[in-house]
Amino acid sequence: MSEATIATPALAEHKVPALMRGALVPRLIVGLSIFLVWEIVVRGFAPAYVAKPSTVLLAIPQVIVDPAFLHALGATLGAVSEGLAITIVAGTVIGLLMGRSDIFDRMVRVYINGLNAMPMIIVLPLFSLWFGYSNGARIGTIIFAAIFAITMNVADGARSVPREYLEVSRSFRSGRLRMLIDIVLPASMPYLLAGFRLAAGRALIGAVVAEFFLSIGGLGYYILYNSRAYHHNEAFVGVLLLAGIGVSFELLVNWCTRHFMPWYRRGA
Amino acid sequence: MTIAAIRRNAPVLISVFAGIALWEIAGRLVSAAFLVPFSATLVRLWQLITRGEFITQFLDSSELFLTGFVLALIVGAPFGMVLARVRILRVGVEPYIMTLYATPMVALIPFILSLMGFGFAPKVLVVFLFSVFPVLYNTVEGARSIKPEMIEVAKSFRSNEWALWREVMLPYTLPYTMTGVRQAIGRALVGMIAAEFFLSSTGLGQLIMGASQDFDTAGVLASTLVIGLIGVGLTRLGLNIEQHFARWRQ
Repeated sequence: MSEATIATPALAEHKVPALMRGALVPRLIVGLSIFLVWEIVVRGFAPAYVAKPSTVLLAIPQVIVDPAFLHALGATLGAVSEGLAITIVAGTVIGLLMGRSDIFDRMVRVYINGLNAMPMIIVLPLFSLWFGYSNGARIGTIIFAAIFAITMNVADGARSVPREYLEVSRSFRSGRLRMLIDIVLPASMPYLLAGFRLAAGRALIGAVVAEFFLSIGGLGYYILYNSRAYHHNEAFVGVLLLAGIGVSFELLVNWCTRHFMPWYRRGA
Repeated sequence: MTIAAIRRNAPVLISVFAGIALWEIAGRLVSAAFLVPFSATLVRLWQLITRGEFITQFLDSSELFLTGFVLALIVGAPFGMVLARVRILRVGVEPYIMTLYATPMVALIPFILSLMGFGFAPKVLVVFLFSVFPVLYNTVEGARSIKPEMIEVAKSFRSNEWALWREVMLPYTLPYTMTGVRQAIGRALVGMIAAEFFLSSTGLGQLIMGASQDFDTAGVLASTLVIGLIGVGLTRLGLNIEQHFARWRQ
């Protein structure tokens, strides 16, 4: 990346602690002032039930031991993992085929591009007709939200496998399927992970939107229900947790890239 | 040339026709509550258009989309540029912008609903929130890409603040801002539909919701198809805008 060009000699001279101190102070000031303004505005102008930093903080210990909350969290995470598992398998298979077969790519790409450009929440009315107001519709939405990110990335990865790898494998007389699984798939792993990072975030949004729309139990519905019952603080803890899950997906992918693919440095 | 073009596009055309044929056949085989044939969907779409329902809802949605999106641009781009210029401010604000960029904004809709109710303003706020952070985030990214030497050189030639903005800041950050604009177009569309689904039901969102509640499968499919096509068109537009400005990038 451009990191190397940015690190001019003048900047490189800074020791790490000095750099940290240089960034930390303004960050803390901005963060504190955001919370302060939020607190003051809500105290001054908004009804008592509106979430503000102090009351949200107080609500956290109660919410994270609340069985209803844990149940909702489990339902959402379960649906997201189930959806993502299906997405990874199906998305990778379609992506590999797209990357290695020109005809298949041209035939499928129209649909992938078209469906990917659709705002994903638009499938909800259709899915609720097809699957009913059920977990199936939620998983369908998660898959629809996430699969194109994986497919497109894996297809890019499969296309850019170094030609030498394939030639060596061919000269050892390996079959097409063998080549796809043993050469192309491992070589496109970094792309798959990059796609997974995008897909995980979208899957989470898909799950929340589906729970809003279908009114089925989960973190999204927990937020909706509590905010309707004027328990904004409790609902906001749910939002914080959602953001936390999103961030931990990001960290997980970064860790996997560093740990399992140390040779792959781009964007890590 | 033409034969080559036909050969190149043949798989695409065959695949599209096969898809439509499959839809038509599947629609005739299963119950109408589940899926209706492609032809019936087109007929329903034509009805919606000729009855004027579609046009009113389309204009309604466009108003919402444009208001929210333009607001996001007016706020996001200049604020991003200011952050680009004032380093200390940028360092302080950056992590919060990144966090908000990654936060699923849909989760805030219930709060917006209970605080602001069912009017036009809360819906504009949703579209705005969905689309402002891509613009802001990418503008700040662009600002980070400006080499400090560029500004130093401009300063040592005694360029004033205005010249600095015109000659260095704007040309360097604008391509990145336009990447943000492309992402924001897609997100604003999602925000628009989300606002129409979960706040007061209006526009294209209402068209599809109403059809769904009436178990009018043809209506749901027709409106989904149209919104999908609008999405494709807007995505194409966004890519064109981005590519137009990408020429400035070095």
